[in-house]
Amino acid sequence: MTDPRPDLLRAEGLSKRYGRDWVIRELDFSLARGEVVALLGPNGVGKTTLLRLLAGLVRPTQGKVSGRAKIGLLANPPAFYRHLSGEENLAYALRLEDRTPDLAAIYQILERVGLPHKKTVLSYSSGMKKRLALAKLQLLAPEVWLLDEPEAALDAQGRELLGEIVQQARSSGGVVIATHDRAWITGLADRQVMLGPAPGGAG
Amino acid sequence: MRLLGDGTRRRRTPPWPATPSGTLGGGVAVRRIFWLAWRDLTLELRGRAGLLSVVFFLTVMLLILGLAFGPYPQDLRKAAPGVLWVALAFAGSLLASRAFGLEVEDGTLDDLLLTPGGKEWIYFGKLFFQMILLLAVGLILIVLTAGLFYLPLAAWPGLLLTLLLGTLGYASVSTFYAGMLARLRGREVLLPLLLFPIAVPVVLSSVQATIGLAQGLPVGEMRHWWQLLLVFDVIYVTVCSLLFPWVLEG
Repeated sequence: MTDPRPDLLRAEGLSKRYGRDWVIRELDFSLARGEVVALLGPNGVGKTTLLRLLAGLVRPTQGKVSGRAKIGLLANPPAFYRHLSGEENLAYALRLEDRTPDLAAIYQILERVGLPHKKTVLSYSSGMKKRLALAKLQLLAPEVWLLDEPEAALDAQGRELLGEIVQQARSSGGVVIATHDRAWITGLADRQVMLGPAPGGAG
Repeated sequence: MRLLGDGTRRRRTPPWPATPSGTLGGGVAVRRIFWLAWRDLTLELRGRAGLLSVVFFLTVMLLILGLAFGPYPQDLRKAAPGVLWVALAFAGSLLASRAFGLEVEDGTLDDLLLTPGGKEWIYFGKLFFQMILLLAVGLILIVLTAGLFYLPLAAWPGLLLTLLLGTLGYASVSTFYAGMLARLRGREVLLPLLLFPIAVPVVLSSVQATIGLAQGLPVGEMRHWWQLLLVFDVIYVTVCSLLFPWVLEG
C-alpha cells in the first residue's frame, strides 16, 4: 500500500565526493509531510553532508534532490551575527524574507526559549545559541526542518522544549534530525535511517 | 562545463532547490539589498576595528609616500593622482575581504543562501556595502591627498564623479572575487592577485581622469575617460551579478 502523505523532499541516487573520498554514495531518501526522520551513524559518516545536500547548500556529485518546500536548517554549531542581539538576529532573518518584524512575536518566542532580548549573541553559551536557532526556525516557519544535532549542548529543560517544537514542526511539514543520541530520538522519530561508511569512502 | 575526474559532466544548475517564491520581485530584491548593506554597516560600525585599521594603514602609506616624493610641491602634485588611486585600490582589496569575512567568521553565509529566491541580491547588497565604505574612504583619501600632495580641489565635482565611477567599477569586481574566495583559506592573498589585473582598466581610466582634473584641464576633455569608466562599470556589474550565484556554492 502506498503512503498517502506526499513527499516534501526526495533525493535519488545522491552521492557526494570530496577529493577522492566518497562521503555519500547512491543514497535514496524521502521525507513525507508530517514525518520526523532521524539520521543516525558514527562521526564522519556524512550526516551533516546529507543535511547540507538536502538543503541545497552543497551540489551533489551525482544524483539529485527534488522538492519545492521552504527549507530551514539548524546548523551545528548554529550561525548568528555575534555583534547583534538575539532580537536583532531574528528581526533581520524576517527582513530577509521580506516580512516586517513583529517585536511582540519576537519577544514571545525569545521568552518561550528562555532567552534575553537585548544581549548580543557574542555573550551566548552554546546552549543559548541552540535555543536562538530554534526560535529562529519557529519564527521563519519552514516546511522542512533540517536539524543537525539539535539536542547537543541543551540541558534537560531545553531538550523537552526541543521535543515540543519538533512536534509542532511535524504538524506543518517534516523534520530530519541528525543525532548520535538514539535514546532521545527513539520516542520522537517515526523512522530511523542508519548511515554507514560509503563504499570508497575515507573511513 | 567542468569535467569531473570520473568523466561525468556536472550540471550547471544552481545548487539550491527551486523555492515556492520563484524569482524575486523588484521591490523585494531592493529591500533585501538594503537590509543586507544596512546589516553589514551595523556590524562594521560595531566592530569598528576593521574600517579604522584600513584608514590608519592608508594614512601611514600616504605619509611615507609623501616623504618619498617630497619635499617639492610640484613633484608631490604630479604624484597625487597615482597615490590616490593606489591607496584606493588597496582599500578596496582590504574592505572586500571584510564584506564576506564577517559572514565566514559568523558562519552566516548559509543563511543568505537559504533565503528563498535568486541569489543575485546578495551580490548587490555586498556591492552596495562596499560602495558606501569605499566612497567614505575615498573622500578621506581625497582630503589627505589634497593636504599632503597638493591635489587641487577646485574641480571637486569632477573628482567626485571620477571617485563614484572608479569605485563602482573596482567594487563590482572586488565583491565578485571576495564572494568566490569567501570559503577558501588564503583568500586575503588570492584576492589581490585575481582582482588587480581585471581592475587595471578602471584604475588607469580613473588615474587619467584625476590627472586631467589636477592639471586644470577643461571638464570636456575628461568626458571620454568618464565614458570609458561608465562602459567598464556596466560590463563589470552585469557580468559579475550574472556569474555570482554560480561561485557561491559550497
